[in-house]
Amino acid sequence: MTHVVLESCIRCKYTDCVDVCPVDCFREGPNFLVIDPDECIDCAVCIPECPVNAILPEEDVPADQLAFIKLNAELARKWPSITKRKGALADADDWKDRKGKLGELIR
Amino acid sequence: MEPQPTPAIAEAARRHDGPIETDAVIVGAGPVGLFQVFELGLLEIKAHVIDSLAYPGGQCIELYPDKPIYDIPAVPMCTGKELTDNLLKQIEPFGASFHFGQEVSVVARRDDGRFDVQTTRGTRFVARTIFIAGGVGSFQPRTLKVDGIERHEGTQVFYRVKNPAQFAGKELVIVGGGDSALDWTLNFVQEGPNKAASVILVHRRDGFKAAPASVAKMKELCDAYEMQFMVGQVTAIQESADGRLQAVKVTGGDGVTRVVPLDMLLVFFGLSPKLGPIADWGLALERKQIVVDTEKFETSIPGIFAVGDINTYPGKKKLILSGFHEAALAAFGASRHVFPDKRVLLQYTTTSPKLHKVLGVETPVFD
Repeated sequence: MTHVVLESCIRCKYTDCVDVCPVDCFREGPNFLVIDPDECIDCAVCIPECPVNAILPEEDVPADQLAFIKLNAELARKWPSITKRKGALADADDWKDRKGKLGELIR
Repeated sequence: MEPQPTPAIAEAARRHDGPIETDAVIVGAGPVGLFQVFELGLLEIKAHVIDSLAYPGGQCIELYPDKPIYDIPAVPMCTGKELTDNLLKQIEPFGASFHFGQEVSVVARRDDGRFDVQTTRGTRFVARTIFIAGGVGSFQPRTLKVDGIERHEGTQVFYRVKNPAQFAGKELVIVGGGDSALDWTLNFVQEGPNKAASVILVHRRDGFKAAPASVAKMKELCDAYEMQFMVGQVTAIQESADGRLQAVKVTGGDGVTRVVPLDMLLVFFGLSPKLGPIADWGLALERKQIVVDTEKFETSIPGIFAVGDINTYPGKKKLILSGFHEAALAAFGASRHVFPDKRVLLQYTTTSPKLHKVLGVETPVFD
């Protein structure tokens, strides 16, 4: 099992989750974060940190976002580790409530 | 003439200086570590408990003291705080010793089969068995992420207040929006032995996690020009020619960056768990969690057990109730190390006069 970063993170990337991860399992892309499923220990500490509720345990991922389970695993292999919080993307607040952002993802 | 200690006093002093000899050391005072005291207690194994926090409860206290928990068997709902308080009451008969505010730094097997255990405060133990109930790691202060700030940690930058007097009469900048930030702000602004020369509170938004009464009091003090509050985030530091921290740059919600001079910077961003040194104890790990068997919850090193969120085995679920079960079986597993020649039988707290004795309760009379 693992935890998964979902669509809400795209173009926001608040990074609050990164600070609390006890095993530093977050990876950073240009406008999205992912969790490395081989590192995550399912402690769930990051879930309440995310201001846009983008993180869920694998079993709770809604049916229309199941693709993000694979996406996290795939991108975690190529993106670098992020262990310290930094500022959100400049227009994060404009994007945080939008749906259907997968097309915005920069790999 | 120098007074000579009696042999009894000398003996007591020698013992005090030496390591604490014990049957069991429990690493972690979260719910599972506390219940481990109970399960060992029933088997008449006395334990010493070590935790990095200054108080018991672990994640239950540090992450969700007021949030309801619904999945403790026979307790329809309780908060993290209530669960901790009830466990402390439940283990009272067993007189465990607590060693708070320290982390285990050394675990080494001795020639006699026991373990040397040492903490960051220098407390030493010689233990027959060790129970790692370390949860998701030890709680560390979340730090301010600004270039160069670590150079001033402990001299001008602080993440906790150990000695309030050192901040008296100083120009302080306090960062954070929780109870620690607000309580210390009020403490250093108000008349008293620790009153600072000036206090500026910085928080990233004009909304606080802290108790509303403290926030109201802080705003009153601002209106009375006793202190200042700024919305913003510390984004850089300024150092003097001799390398001292002189000021911080605070970028406000309005996008303007202001330079705020200071003597001392206090940062209260709360605590978050980090799985640290346990990874270096030579135990078999899987994804940074300790591999155990499901018969005794023993690790790859006989005599060291791991219970609760820190262990892993096929089908593991990180539930408090799973940790309780693990603690029970680990206690029986440990009894083979502590009492190698004794057959330890399962007894029930409802009917066993022996358990009534260890629990300090009266044996009921059945008609």
